[in-house]
Amino acid sequence: MTEFYRQYLSVAVLIGAAALMFGAMLGAGRLLRPNRPQPEKFITYEAGSDPVGGWGQSNVRYYVYALLFVMFDVEAVFIFPWAVNLKSLGVYGLIEMAVFIIVLTLGLVYAWRKGVLRWA
Amino acid sequence: MNPHVDFHAFAPEIVLTVTIVAVLIADLFTDDSKLPARIAALGVLGSLVPVLTLAVDGQTRSLFGGAFVVDPFSLVLTGFFLVAGYVTLLLSFDYIGEGDYYQGEFYVLLLTSLLGMIVISSARDLISIFVALETITIPTFVLAGWRKHDTKSNEASLKYFLIGVLSSAVMLYGMSLVFGLANSTVLVDIHKYASGHTPALFAVAVFLTLVGFAFKVSAVPFHFWAPDTYEGAPTPVTAFLSVASKAGGFVALLTIVRLGFFPSGNSWQPILWVLAAASMTLGNLAALRQTNIVRMLAYSSIAQGGFILVPLAVAGDVRGNAAWQAVVIYILIYGAMNLGAFAAVIAAARRTRSAEISRLAGFGRTNPAIAVMFSVFLFSLAGIPPLAGWFAKFVMFRAVFDANTTVAVVLGVIAAVNSVIAFFYYSGVVRRLWFDEPAAGVELSSPRLPVGLSAAMGLMTAVILVVGVYPQFFARLGEIAFQRG
Amino acid sequence: MQLNEFLILAAFLFCTGAYGVLARRNGVLVLMSIELMLNAVNINLVAFSAFTKNVSGQIFALFIITIAAAEVGVGLAIVLLIYRNLHSPDLDEVDQLKG
Repeated sequence: MTEFYRQYLSVAVLIGAAALMFGAMLGAGRLLRPNRPQPEKFITYEAGSDPVGGWGQSNVRYYVYALLFVMFDVEAVFIFPWAVNLKSLGVYGLIEMAVFIIVLTLGLVYAWRKGVLRWA
Repeated sequence: MNPHVDFHAFAPEIVLTVTIVAVLIADLFTDDSKLPARIAALGVLGSLVPVLTLAVDGQTRSLFGGAFVVDPFSLVLTGFFLVAGYVTLLLSFDYIGEGDYYQGEFYVLLLTSLLGMIVISSARDLISIFVALETITIPTFVLAGWRKHDTKSNEASLKYFLIGVLSSAVMLYGMSLVFGLANSTVLVDIHKYASGHTPALFAVAVFLTLVGFAFKVSAVPFHFWAPDTYEGAPTPVTAFLSVASKAGGFVALLTIVRLGFFPSGNSWQPILWVLAAASMTLGNLAALRQTNIVRMLAYSSIAQGGFILVPLAVAGDVRGNAAWQAVVIYILIYGAMNLGAFAAVIAAARRTRSAEISRLAGFGRTNPAIAVMFSVFLFSLAGIPPLAGWFAKFVMFRAVFDANTTVAVVLGVIAAVNSVIAFFYYSGVVRRLWFDEPAAGVELSSPRLPVGLSAAMGLMTAVILVVGVYPQFFARLGEIAFQRG
Repeated sequence: MQLNEFLILAAFLFCTGAYGVLARRNGVLVLMSIELMLNAVNINLVAFSAFTKNVSGQIFALFIITIAAAEVGVGLAIVLLIYRNLHSPDLDEVDQLKG
């Protein structure tokens, strides 16, 4: 199983590098920026939309976007295995995936036509 | 590489999918509120055409490595689901059209759920069974909460959702263990595995899987969501839930037990026995004290679900296909009776503006046609000859006698006692309809019934009378379902 | 690595999720607990699949992931609807229907 763990070594290196970079960027920012606290800076959305209470610090209106994002994000799960095998699946696979994506897009068109994407 | 796909085999599914897309587009780009409904009805009838051509062809077709099989069993049930779906559409047209919440999505969701049902009749693999079950239930979560400003409808939807998702998770955990033990998701391989010596973990896996199904078919003690959801949901949706969606659960249960777990009888028989006995007894006792007709029918459908479980529970000791046939015949007849009963409830509620049983007093004098059909459905549910319900009970008891073991006979006795209890509350409603004085201040006259609703009630009454007098018709369907194609 | 370690992890996650569904009152937290249960199932399936070299377990997991997303989407919509009507995400306040 040592081969197994060796493969994870690269993951560990990546995590280390990420932590280092994260710390360096934030640390550099802290050293360079001026520090003038104002109460407005501590509200969730500085742009001005007020979070509606009870749900923690999130605006209910973002829910539709989150939902649409998750739907399309998760559908990608089916596209990855297809993309890997695209050559062997050929034209048949291409048409199959086209049908899948068209039906999905129809969902987005539906949301759009029903005015879900408009900021209310 | 072009995989060979037999498109004829799943032509019903393709037609229905195209219909769903067409309804969605029609709803988006036209203002004609009748068009989506018309396309939906046409599409459901259109899906019946390939079912008939496949039946004439009569060949058993196995696709996707045995995960999707078209055989007589799946064709009989696909036909049943499509007809049940069509009748639900008939019930919904005016109910949805007249409400404040008209939206074309209703038909899209209903048809999507229907698509899951016709897939489940052919599913022969854990993955396809799971995907089909979820395709059935997820749209119904939304349908149950259709009246979105009504907090009761919200609550119905929430309870149904929580229980539905929880049961899926439990079922999936069981299925994942089954997969780990049998090293396959195809039921045929699980059948082979169960024929050998199985560890105790397999019994746990089967138990968890069956518990998930028990939620889906609202068997006691996993039934508590049903009455609340049925009461809160719009009545046509309740009809759909109590018939089609419940039948979908039973079909999946039948398939998974018959083709998968069957050889390991000790792991599934006791569970189904307890579920059957508890569902019949508690369902009927609770139905006795209901004052709301929808809640009464909810508990009655729990009890009827118990009756459907009886042949399944004794199937291990029945030779041949008699037990499976009993389940299929019971599902077909139950579908006709319950759809009819809910159609009558909708028709009566249009006049009385209430679902309270007391408000139905004297209904027979003012609206004799509806009351006659209502009584037919209720007496059929009670199992009184010559209405179709007696034949359903008959095949169930025949399966019990064929099994002829002590446990089977005890279950048969419980079923017999329950049939008597059930007669009381069904006949109580009929007595109200015909013999009680109309309550003061109840305005019973109103405009004519919509055509769809009358057609649905007439059709179901006809089915119940014909099958009751000439039961060979459904008996033959039951035999065909288990013939080798 | 042993198969058992994965199975124990999955069982633990599943039980945590089940406890969360039964004990939590906030709708969003209940949904998160359900996700936990479904992911426990995914761990089971992928672990079995990796150890037996049978790929159908992984396919099963992919389907569970997508369907879980659909379920949670619908669930969130229902919780939101209740929040709009009752102005509270507390599920114990939803109790008009009794039987």
